Amino acid sequence: MKMKMADGNSAVLRRNRPGTKAEDWCNWSDEAFEEMDSTLAVQQFIQQAIRKDFTNIEEILTPPEGVEEGVWKYEHLRQFCMELNGLCVKLQTECHPEQCSQMTATEQWIFLCAAHKTPKECPAIDYTRHTLDGAACLLNSNKYFPSRVCIKESSVNKLGSVCRRVYRIFSHAYFHHRTLFDEYENETYLCRRFTKFVTKYNLMSKDNLIVPILEDQNAIDGESEA
Amino acid sequence: MEAGSKKEGLPKLRDILRRQRDDSLSESMTECPDIEFLYEDADTYNAELAELFSYTEDSEFELSKKKFEDGFVNKDCENKWTKSSESVQRKHIVFLQNELEVVDKERRLNAMWSLLYLVQGVYGECISEEEHRDWTHRNVHLLYEQGLFTSFVELLSMETENTAAASIAIRKMAVSVIDSSDLRLILSVLYIMVEVMRSPLDTESDEQRHNRSMFMEDLVTPLVGEEILPVILFSMITKFCSGSAPHFPMKKVLLLLWKVVLVSVGGLRELQKKKNEVREKYGLPPLPEDTYEVCKNMRASSPPTSAADLIEQQMPRRAFRGGKRSSLDNDPFENSNGEDNIFNDVDGNARQSSDEDTPPTPPRPATPTVVQQKTLPWKPKVRQKDLEQFLDTTRMKFVGFQVKNDLASLAGLPHPIHEGVKVLKEHLYISLTEIQIKREEEIAKNPFSKPETDVANSPVEILFQAILPNLPQYMIALLKILLAAAPTSKTKTDSINILSDVLPEVMPLTVLQSMKLGIDVNRHKEIIVKAISGLLLLLLKHFKLNHVYQFEFMSQHLVFANCIPLVLKFFNQNILSYVTAKNSIPCLDYPGSVIGEQPELTAETLESGDNQPYCWRNLFSCINLLRILNKLTKWKHSRTMMLVVFKSAPILKRALKVKQAMMQLYVLKLLKMQTKYLGRQWRKSNMKTMSAIYQKVRHRLNDDWAYGNDMDARPWDFQAEECALRACVDRFNQRRYNPHSADPDFKPVDTCLHSVLGEDIDLTEEFKQNYERWLEMEVYSNYIDWDQVINC
Repeated sequence: MKMKMADGNSAVLRRNRPGTKAEDWCNWSDEAFEEMDSTLAVQQFIQQAIRKDFTNIEEILTPPEGVEEGVWKYEHLRQFCMELNGLCVKLQTECHPEQCSQMTATEQWIFLCAAHKTPKECPAIDYTRHTLDGAACLLNSNKYFPSRVCIKESSVNKLGSVCRRVYRIFSHAYFHHRTLFDEYENETYLCRRFTKFVTKYNLMSKDNLIVPILEDQNAIDGESEA
Repeated sequence: MEAGSKKEGLPKLRDILRRQRDDSLSESMTECPDIEFLYEDADTYNAELAELFSYTEDSEFELSKKKFEDGFVNKDCENKWTKSSESVQRKHIVFLQNELEVVDKERRLNAMWSLLYLVQGVYGECISEEEHRDWTHRNVHLLYEQGLFTSFVELLSMETENTAAASIAIRKMAVSVIDSSDLRLILSVLYIMVEVMRSPLDTESDEQRHNRSMFMEDLVTPLVGEEILPVILFSMITKFCSGSAPHFPMKKVLLLLWKVVLVSVGGLRELQKKKNEVREKYGLPPLPEDTYEVCKNMRASSPPTSAADLIEQQMPRRAFRGGKRSSLDNDPFENSNGEDNIFNDVDGNARQSSDEDTPPTPPRPATPTVVQQKTLPWKPKVRQKDLEQFLDTTRMKFVGFQVKNDLASLAGLPHPIHEGVKVLKEHLYISLTEIQIKREEEIAKNPFSKPETDVANSPVEILFQAILPNLPQYMIALLKILLAAAPTSKTKTDSINILSDVLPEVMPLTVLQSMKLGIDVNRHKEIIVKAISGLLLLLLKHFKLNHVYQFEFMSQHLVFANCIPLVLKFFNQNILSYVTAKNSIPCLDYPGSVIGEQPELTAETLESGDNQPYCWRNLFSCINLLRILNKLTKWKHSRTMMLVVFKSAPILKRALKVKQAMMQLYVLKLLKMQTKYLGRQWRKSNMKTMSAIYQKVRHRLNDDWAYGNDMDARPWDFQAEECALRACVDRFNQRRYNPHSADPDFKPVDTCLHSVLGEDIDLTEEFKQNYERWLEMEVYSNYIDWDQVINC
């Protein structure tokens, strides 16, 4: 994950120069949100929070002052899609079309891949790839999201269906590739964070959140009005 | 009017019905009352929803209810939707949304049927129509909030690409209603959502209002792939007409397309308001009248009687009520040589005095009495061109030379001319069209100093841009279907079957069923005509305001696709019986047919039809078609001559029989256009019509429509006029929508160093084989000061 950072603080240069070692990757001090002078400030801020402590979901999902809710949701969804690539890479080793010939979660749910002109019955790994690609195309599209500082409401409304489709990647991994799922989840807390995120911002109904990842999953009721 | 059914018993019954109606008609023809008709963008909310469903589909109402009830469980509320809490309702909708995306088609269909039942207002749980309407609105908003409109557009896109279904349909002998079952379901859901959003309740909440404005934007935003919904629907129409998808249910597609365009660009009254706003922006005075208000207050003229009618009249007419009459008024029975009677306004309104000889007077202030109209309904207009022409001719005559581009100096001209110019200037009307054309010419002449600045990205503009590439095919397809749906067409000769979505799989066995189908088929065709005519008029009018060349582009393609003879052919029938047709069975109309007790369907209920004095949709269609014809031919000499050549005058005169002022107005306008080419004899025999034109149609000062004589018409070159127009239109389209068409000399030179990196360079084989040598020679052995290169 390469990140571009503007030079906000003249003393600290937040760059990963060629030759940076893995342990020194992004190894710089935190920057306050108000100091960030860039159109990518929100993304920087989120990534900074994740690096600081990926288990502190509350903190990561708390917007700083002055950030529009639409922009906040959008940037988080971008980040989720980027991080899901990691899970996808792991899945590639195990999730072969011969074994997982359809995109299933639990038995009763077998889904069509909506990333084509006519929805198709893609095998799970293809569904995963196509959906992430489709999400990236949509989130990067100039037509719907021409700016990263101000987002039209009609464009924000599209985020719900992206979340719904992307979530199925989690559910498939959980029910069919449990070890991989647990491994990745422990490294990133991604599913927990995603679940908390979609619930907090009402992007998905609780009934679609079939992965029992949060211990207090049943007690999420109170948050849905956010 | 052919019923289109193959059953032998049917024509006889229809004849009986028709005969009954005809008899009563000719008896009361002289006493035919005015038709009380208010022109709107569409019929009432209930009527529009009812027309969505054919009577053949009525068995499907039970199905959607059952599918829903099978899938909805809420033990706390006796499984009733209307008693469940909103969170339970939302939960179920989200569940259904997921069901729409599963692989199992059966499950998807069940979810679709359930959602249809929801947008149908869960009628099984409603007692009154009011309650039903409330639930329809509630449910539609809930569905919209959960993104189900988008889901259904995705389903629509999926079904239209379903080549398997298409090939099954192509191979079938007789495509019927069951072949379009899935599509009809999807289209019904979408249509009901659009209609609900179009006609909000007075009790709508802020959220619902907000939903509606988001919805209107969604209609012109690509929801699936790159295309907006209108384009998806248009391509369904062209696909159907090409024969590759005979199972597409055209009636629903056309209804949906019409309403989607109506909701996204706005109705005709809104358009009028917008026009005034734009006029204000350009510093022009607003329109002198509100067309719809004037038409509302106009009284219909009694129709011109023809020879046949005179012979039939044996009984004296009803006595005329009071009012002024001119000395030209004669007893109708004295003219027995087949000429038209002198105009008699049956309602006894006061008329103009000494109307024949003096030039038209400006409208006098209305007298306090309410109903009687003493003034002309429209303020006379004068074009800039007419004023210039007037000055040119008088200057030539009195002074001997021209003064170009001068509308002010009256030196050397006699006093009456000064007065004439004053009157003309008082009535000068500058149209937005003239301004737009002038601006276009300016841009073409001065691409740098006066370029086209930001074009507003309004829904109309987005729509035009989206349909521009295939507009010609869309127009041809629409007209093809219109022709097939016209009452005067013979269904057997058509290559397309527009009845495929109304004909049942099994043809009717009983007489009652046959009658029902006959009515259903006619109704089906009438609704198709209504949708197409409404859609075309809406597009023409909105495009014209947006930019006249968008309008001209669409008009040309309509004209090239023979729209003018088509409309004339449409009117070449007994228009009065078309307008008073009773092709409906009210007890089967949704939603009344699904709420409460249903009376039994008998032959009597079928025959009696509804108790309306006329058929709203048919009258609406007629007016639309007349307006379209007007828009296509106005100010276009070559197209007006087409009207003459096609002998449209008698056809149009017959249309005057419909005693409805707005319809008569548009007929009279078409007649006025041609009068000077029809000859003295025609004018002599049609004084009544001439008077009606005088009374109802806007006057143009110095217009010689009534006495001009262009019988030996100056040679009109259809080709030249249309080609010149085409050139302007193409230039406009190229400039605005095809950025690569600009002359490369007019584009700035690319001086950016990095552009070189983006260029595709073809390397020769020879180079590729020997590139190391090139490197050695040109790069390694040469000294290049790169700093200088980069910084220069």
